[in-house]
Amino acid sequence: MQQFTVHKIGPEIKIAGLDLSFTNASLFMVISASIIILFLFLGSKEKRIVPGKIQLIAELFYSFVAKMISDTAGSKAKPYFPFIFSLFMFVLFCNMVGMLPYSFTVTSHIIVTLIMALFIFVAVTIIGFFKHGIKYLSIFVPSGVPVVLLPLITIIEIISYLSRPVSLSVRLFANMMAGHTMLKVFGGFVVSLGILGGWLPLGFSVALTGLEILVAFLQAYVFAILTCIYLNDALNLHH
Amino acid sequence: MTIPEDFKTRLKIAKSKIKSEIQNGKENRGSFMGIAFKLGTELVAAVAVGTIIGFILDSWFDTKPWLIIIFFFLGAAAGMLNVIKAANKMQKKD
Repeated sequence: MQQFTVHKIGPEIKIAGLDLSFTNASLFMVISASIIILFLFLGSKEKRIVPGKIQLIAELFYSFVAKMISDTAGSKAKPYFPFIFSLFMFVLFCNMVGMLPYSFTVTSHIIVTLIMALFIFVAVTIIGFFKHGIKYLSIFVPSGVPVVLLPLITIIEIISYLSRPVSLSVRLFANMMAGHTMLKVFGGFVVSLGILGGWLPLGFSVALTGLEILVAFLQAYVFAILTCIYLNDALNLHH
Repeated sequence: MTIPEDFKTRLKIAKSKIKSEIQNGKENRGSFMGIAFKLGTELVAAVAVGTIIGFILDSWFDTKPWLIIIFFFLGAAAGMLNVIKAANKMQKKD
């Protein structure tokens, strides 16, 4: 579909055989990132006790993420706040910018979400080994399992651990892509049914747009909270 | 900067409102919906990962099709384990 196609903007850039051209996907990533920077800059420019509108929203985001981290991963995860905050804001704004007409949804491409998920997966694994050494492998061996079943359970636990980046990336990608496709399909119904029957799908697509905005927020939230949960498993080793 | 008296009382009212909302469990509805979204993909992803591992091991050891079958079922088991774990976590939070 046209809204999902990636095309080059400007000249073709090739470095060491890799195609590094600037595409519309990169353009919308830059747009989302600059909106976040601008918004947080405006929000933190005037530091008043009674906050203004932009400052209030910025503080709301801050306390929302801070509370999420302390609820799910405990106080040990405080040093990772900047990472999780930027991740949450980036996913949220990419989703929300994608809701605008004629825009491009960066998170509806699996390569984008998969790279983010793999980065989290590798980082969490490194943090786990760094904090606990070889003892980190004990997350694959749950306590209280009979010796006979232990090899089987360990294999299952390893598969379950390896499935984390897949489920994390596929969830975000599939939700965004399915939502936008659904909107497109209902939009197509409006055109093909014409002025007589087109009103029902038109109403549906208005409702679906609202739902999509909710999904855009929820998926960013889920992405961030799962990062916190994985981080919690790596930081606090207990079974 | 001094804090005006009027602001203090308004803050007090707002704080007590938030407290009562937390006690009624109103505040967490969004996050539960978020966790509900999580369960479906969790189940499927583990099956996919298990099958892929089986496929790769099969082409390494030349044992087609046995390992892919075994790892498909192990993946399904891992998916169920994931869902059970997530559900347990949800219950603990309550």
